Amino acid sequence: MIELTNVSKSYRTDTIETLALQRLNLSVPDGEFLSIMGPSGCGKSTLLNIMGLIDEPSEGSVVLAGQPVTSYNGSKVARFRNEQLGFIFQSFHLINDLSVVDNVELPLLYRKMGGKERRRLALDALERVGLSNRATHFPNQLSGGQKQRVAIARAIVGRPNIILADEPTGNLDSHMGGEIMDILTRLNTDLGTTIVMVTHDERMARMTHRLVRLSDGERVS
Amino acid sequence: MIKNYLTLALKVLRRKPFYTFVSLFGISFTLMILMLITSMGDAMFGANPPMTDVNKMVFLPQAERILQFYDTTYVVDSVRMDDGRMRYDSTANVREGGMNNSTGNLAFHFLDQTLRGLDRVASYTFYSNDGFVDAYLDGRKLTMSTCYTDADYWEVFDFDFLYGQPFTADAVAGADKVVVITEVVAREYFGEVTADVIGREIALGRERFTVAGIVARPYKDDDSINGDVFMPYTTIDNRKLQSDNISGPFNAVFKAEDKAHTAGIIDEIHFIAETYDMSGDEDYEILKLTAATATEKMAAEIMQEDDLRQAKLLLFIPLITLLTLFVALPLINLINLSVSRVYERRSEIAVRKAFGADSRSILYQFLFENMVLTVIGGLIGLALALLLIRYINANDLLGIVRLAFSARVFVYFLLLIAVFGLLSGLLPALRMSRTNVADALR
Ligand SMILES: Nc1ncnc2c1ncn2[C@@H]1O[C@H](COP(=O)(O)OP(=O)(O)OP(=O)(O)O)[C@@H](O)[C@H]1O
Ligand SMILES: [Mg+2]
Repeated sequence: MIELTNVSKSYRTDTIETLALQRLNLSVPDGEFLSIMGPSGCGKSTLLNIMGLIDEPSEGSVVLAGQPVTSYNGSKVARFRNEQLGFIFQSFHLINDLSVVDNVELPLLYRKMGGKERRRLALDALERVGLSNRATHFPNQLSGGQKQRVAIARAIVGRPNIILADEPTGNLDSHMGGEIMDILTRLNTDLGTTIVMVTHDERMARMTHRLVRLSDGERVS
Repeated sequence: MIKNYLTLALKVLRRKPFYTFVSLFGISFTLMILMLITSMGDAMFGANPPMTDVNKMVFLPQAERILQFYDTTYVVDSVRMDDGRMRYDSTANVREGGMNNSTGNLAFHFLDQTLRGLDRVASYTFYSNDGFVDAYLDGRKLTMSTCYTDADYWEVFDFDFLYGQPFTADAVAGADKVVVITEVVAREYFGEVTADVIGREIALGRERFTVAGIVARPYKDDDSINGDVFMPYTTIDNRKLQSDNISGPFNAVFKAEDKAHTAGIIDEIHFIAETYDMSGDEDYEILKLTAATATEKMAAEIMQEDDLRQAKLLLFIPLITLLTLFVALPLINLINLSVSRVYERRSEIAVRKAFGADSRSILYQFLFENMVLTVIGGLIGLALALLLIRYINANDLLGIVRLAFSARVFVYFLLLIAVFGLLSGLLPALRMSRTNVADALR
């Protein structure tokens, strides 16, 4: 369960103040597959970041799994991110110095787990996004779509309860995009993973349980 | 857990060969240079054989004889105070003149007469080592520096005898033609450094000497020990021995019972000079003896400065500044490298945080990367330093002096580099580990 109450986020630069989110209320029950749509710059990524505890709201409260979030640093929030959350970033953010499989392993590195077990789970996750044959490649040897799939493998490898996906199909052709949607849908139905997905694609949005529209930082539906 | 961080560090370092190379080069080269400087400093200032007791030693490098004379006397008009009143005075004298002086080593006779039996002296030696002698070998000329001295010389200086023995007091008394040679001379002249050389003859100038001992090369650079061939002073040209003069070709070294007594010995020597009866000297009236500890003597020699305290300051202040810079510059470089590397990886840190790394794991990661670099760089630096010192020793690049490698100093420097490496890696990493993830990933 994710509960945002009256969440605002403003960015202050020298001259202007941008309100990326305005008094936004949203609650996502466990097991929901939610999509978020809206024009560019309306605050979708900002919203996702706040839900994922990697950005602090300027105002309002965030309650995750019944716990109000007060600190954005420290080992408690770190453990929460590690065990409960999986991110798929809009621009992948793979680590270029690490091989594909090492990138996928990353969340497991912060768990008590043997190296063999980690490797097995990582290869498993790569298999599910259809990239087993690229395990030893490095990110700069991959296409945009392949990077996207590595990012997805990294997000699902730790079996998080919540996946936050920022345009996970944005860089893929419709066939590949469909496969990714399959993976996410299966995670949602089989494991009950809560998924919040930002998308620009109406068809993808229609495949989810619920659609929330944003405009200029405000919820319009 | 440790294994995770270690493999991660190795992976990242392997992926960045250029950065890794530059860091390793920086660390190992810094270590090598530091080791070289310290071993050279150690050879100059350290207490190494054959001058292990250098801190107890008082050197008498030279004497200065002075004559002050006044050749002009002016009578000047002046005003002087008298009973609180100003008086005009036309009788004040101002004398102007000059000074003659003569500086040099000492005559054996003088040393023999005046400087035996000083208080608190455990052992002492008189020696003359400013001459050279030629030896001819298959038409090749070997020029060697001589040291004429007494049997106590081997008491004062702890030379390492590879073969044979020092010459005895009896040999000195009997003016026996015996000689102690360095291993360098043994190799050059006899072609070997073995026990066989002992008892063989070496032609020095027009005389033949029997080899009594072979000494190892010193780990210390000082002119009191840098002779090539050592002979009883009784075998020196008689004219050099039998002068009634104060100056001659000899120096003296006194080894105090304890380091604390050196100042007293120096005072006593100064006192002897002050009270020395100069009436026998036709040209001079005042005698000054320059008695000095090893560091004072060294400073005075390098700085060409007679005031010993002044010389010490003049030498050591710039020297220490220079050394500090030498240490600081490569360290600053390493810090810079290390800091910029952490900042470069801001987004990596943010990604790790987003997937559950806490500040401690981020710090550990950089800690291990730095540690791996320091250990590997340290090993390379160790190898480089050892090779360089061996090369210098093997090729006599510093003359007769041998450089010693000090494992203790090496560990200190390695720790220094590790500490700076860690600080420079960890402090920025600490800061970065607290940054807002979303900001870093935008
Ligand atoms: N660090 C920042 N400083 C100032 N303004 C910011 C900052 N980050 C975001 N913004 C502004 O906040 C608003 C929302 O940004 P956000 O990235 O959430 O948009 P978005 O809906 O994800 O857009 P897109 O579909 O293009 O990804 C934008 O107007 C953006 O310019
Ligand atoms: Mg966005």
